[in-house]
Amino acid sequence: MNPLIAKMRALGLRLLCAPRNDGEFQAELESHLAMHTEDGVRAGLSPEEARRQALIRLGGMEQTRQAYRERRTLPWSEALLQDVRFGVRMMARNRGFTVAAIATLAIGIGATATAFTWVDAVLLQPLSGVSEPNRLVTLETVTSNGDWVPNSYLDFIDFRDRLTLFDGIAVSHVSAFSVGKEDHAERVWGELVSGNFFSVLGVKAEQGRTFLPSESGDVPGAYPVAVISDRYWRSHYGADPSVVGKTIRINQHELTIVGVAAPEFHGSIPVTSFDVWVPYMEQTVLNGVKEWMLRDRHDRNMLGIARLRPGVTFEQARLELKTLADRMAIANANVSEGMSATLMPLWKSPHGPQGLLVGPLRVLMGVCVLVLLIVCANVANLLLARATVREKEFSARLALGAGRGRIARQVLTESLLLTGCGAVLGFAMTPWMSHALRLLMPPGPMSSLVSMDTRPNLVVLGFTAGLCVAAALIAGLVPALQVSRLNLSARLNAGGRSGTAGRTRNRLRSTLVASEVALALVALVGAGLFARGFQQTLRLNPGFDPDHVLLNQFYLSTNGYNLAQRKEFCRRLEERMLAAPGVTDVAYSDGVPLGFEPSWWEELKIEGYAPRPNENMNIFRNVVSPGYLPLMHIPLVEGRNFTTQDNEHAPAVMIVNEAFVRRFFAGRNPVGKKIHGWGGWFRVVGVAKDSKYHYLGESTPAYFYVPFRQVFREDMNLAFYVRTKGDPDSALSMLRTQARAIDPNVTVFDAAPLKEFIGASLYPQKIAASLMTVLGSIAVLLAAVGLYSVMAYSVAQRTQEIGVRMALGAQPAHVLRMVVRQGLVLTVAGLVAGGALAIALGRTVASVSFTNSGMGANARLLGNGANDPLIYVAAALFLCAVAAIASYLPARRAASVDPMQALRTE
Amino acid sequence: MGGKTDVWQGTLALMVLKTLQVIGPQHGYGLARRIEQTSGDLLELNYGTLYPALLKLEQEGYIRSRWGFSDNNRKAKFYELTKAGERQVRKAAAEWEQTTEILSRFLAPNAEA
Repeated sequence: MNPLIAKMRALGLRLLCAPRNDGEFQAELESHLAMHTEDGVRAGLSPEEARRQALIRLGGMEQTRQAYRERRTLPWSEALLQDVRFGVRMMARNRGFTVAAIATLAIGIGATATAFTWVDAVLLQPLSGVSEPNRLVTLETVTSNGDWVPNSYLDFIDFRDRLTLFDGIAVSHVSAFSVGKEDHAERVWGELVSGNFFSVLGVKAEQGRTFLPSESGDVPGAYPVAVISDRYWRSHYGADPSVVGKTIRINQHELTIVGVAAPEFHGSIPVTSFDVWVPYMEQTVLNGVKEWMLRDRHDRNMLGIARLRPGVTFEQARLELKTLADRMAIANANVSEGMSATLMPLWKSPHGPQGLLVGPLRVLMGVCVLVLLIVCANVANLLLARATVREKEFSARLALGAGRGRIARQVLTESLLLTGCGAVLGFAMTPWMSHALRLLMPPGPMSSLVSMDTRPNLVVLGFTAGLCVAAALIAGLVPALQVSRLNLSARLNAGGRSGTAGRTRNRLRSTLVASEVALALVALVGAGLFARGFQQTLRLNPGFDPDHVLLNQFYLSTNGYNLAQRKEFCRRLEERMLAAPGVTDVAYSDGVPLGFEPSWWEELKIEGYAPRPNENMNIFRNVVSPGYLPLMHIPLVEGRNFTTQDNEHAPAVMIVNEAFVRRFFAGRNPVGKKIHGWGGWFRVVGVAKDSKYHYLGESTPAYFYVPFRQVFREDMNLAFYVRTKGDPDSALSMLRTQARAIDPNVTVFDAAPLKEFIGASLYPQKIAASLMTVLGSIAVLLAAVGLYSVMAYSVAQRTQEIGVRMALGAQPAHVLRMVVRQGLVLTVAGLVAGGALAIALGRTVASVSFTNSGMGANARLLGNGANDPLIYVAAALFLCAVAAIASYLPARRAASVDPMQALRTE
Repeated sequence: MGGKTDVWQGTLALMVLKTLQVIGPQHGYGLARRIEQTSGDLLELNYGTLYPALLKLEQEGYIRSRWGFSDNNRKAKFYELTKAGERQVRKAAAEWEQTTEILSRFLAPNAEA
């Protein structure tokens, strides 16, 4: 037997052994002694003497039994069991203390674990169901001014075929599909992916297969196949294995289901679940996208995911990619001048919900740790107070010979018991809290997609256990040290009358309270800053009027409409809606301002403007119907609006915003100037007032509008707006009826008031502000409780002293002032420390931008209020007030002390 | 006289195993006496320390125990080697021999000469 295994075996036996079973050994010893005595008698000793000799040689019965016992079980595990039993008894006896400690710990640990669950899902393991995720990276194109944008299909082909340090590069494009027969079609979200998508991600099929290499080619429309998700398979096919080989009707085209993806796999965008994957080359068939668009390097709409070759470092791969991309930028200078490409970890990808979540999550995690620290300080305080009460018990145990280490361990075991209970409760709460966090997700078409595995996993479990131990150490260490330093003789001599032992402990508790106040100030200032930033942003004028507007997005391509049919549908629906009662304006466009979905741009050449080298001439745009600007109440400052005459046959026209005029025309009237985009020349006919396009907090970018009928293409979205006199929801049924009257197969999905829809742009700030407010309140409450307990305790300790003072003529008001002053001194000390910390943290957080995508890169979580002194002062004053109340209550008790009573105590 | 030696740390286990290998199943008292005899009464064994050592070996799976009757028909707990114990005796004995041999080279007079 391997010695190590033998040792393990012994250890296991010792652990499992029942603590008490001495009978058998007693019998063995007796038999030993009997034999020894017999031998002694045989040698001529008297039986008594023989037995005495035998006992001497044995080295004493009790010692032998003790040595045997220690060997049979693990002494420390026995001691631990004792500690735990004793701890549970103590906890049961002090119910109030126990409940308070466990509840606060549960909140602290639960909140932190929840935050971590999200951090884990979004940042640490962004994609589930893929193999070796640590070798997967996001591949982004970089514009000449450093923004990250998706890739074009041609760029992808170059990357795929020429890079050597990668095991594969895949691309995907999010798409809404309409699945089923025309009359009962259902919208399903999926991804149009390169044929190698599954093999690059390392995703296996649960049924059937994924895409074959022969389906990874670049021939448009040649691969009519689809892979469906496990979720979709279960919900729509009852998990029937014969689904493989069946056809699925997507956008009125028949595709063959070749497989079902593994159940853990939800797609290539974190915290988002897709149900269908179709080769990208089917785009021409399914969405009517023209083949030339697939061959257009301008068409950058593909998210790239690459798998590094084993052993290749991120930096090597990035360098190879950059070198190639830089060469490509020169080779394709007409479309890609100054562009490059880069790699980043999956979680950094600016696309999809996690792009918005990263900033708030970091803040959330930080605040949760803050709250947990305050909780720990509180529990440490409670334990210290308890330790004082139990000083007699500890002294007695020390006097009876217990080691200091043993007593310190007892205190630590108790704090571990407390945090353990708190952790179990908190852990049980995480799924609920995770769910609550999901409710804060913005409304809109993407919200149904957001899914997170909120089932706690091993990583989260491990993290929670770690938190529990850390909290126990933080909360228990100080009291344990204090106990182990307990001075027996001083304690006995002092007899509980003097304050020498109490004073150091008081100082300790005061430090704890001051640090609690400091942490609470940080939390409060944080809450204030975020709330104020949010408010400031809310007050920002978006530059258009979202009230009374109903927004609906149509997916006409999913109905098999061609371009002309889509335009015709819009024209007819507009006509019909305008005739409906209560409707004042109707419009449609490609992009929705302040929406959750990406905005698109076009590279422009502007007559009379010489771009600086590397200047990014990709300008954001919207493709709008003539009714759009009037409906949005965006006024024109120069020129004219689009009209129905600006159609396919008329000369191309364009309206630019004021920022555009400032940037490219130096503020001079641009009407009549010529601008090149989409392969042709546009004439500027008007200037629209600036408004907000991507984020309320953005600094206004140059922006332009082009007529829907002139520019609308197969791959664009279609948003339909109806402005009503009253409640926009009232227009919904009308919209449904009218849409069905034109074509019964068109379904109205996701209609929502524009006002609600644009809330998406506020999402990161909203979540930060509301979470901070909740957690800030918890922090203040906890700090108040801590302050109160310390003040109450110190007053109780000083009852006698106060009695003496009052007997000597001190007025109750005087005593009151003295106690409150003491509390306020502590508070102010904490505030000073906390203020410094808050300022430092505020500066750091203020520099965090919550999005890193090409649009709205200037939007910040905090706005510009990070240094608002008012918030700091208000938070400090508020905490002072709380502290005054927390110390006034015990002070009043102290002032009402009857001197005689006080002197008689003890 | 001072001629008796305490049992060195860690050697008791080997002595027990080896003795059991030589004389077969034996109870604790018998083992103790036998070890003293084997040492030519040079070892002074504290009998009380033998039992934890036996327990340890049993926990490690090198020996097993059962109740039986001694020569004088007295009820006693007998210990015997297991297969793992046999292997362990060989292994530990070889190691011990090597150790003593190395040490003796240092201690031998004129080792350098």
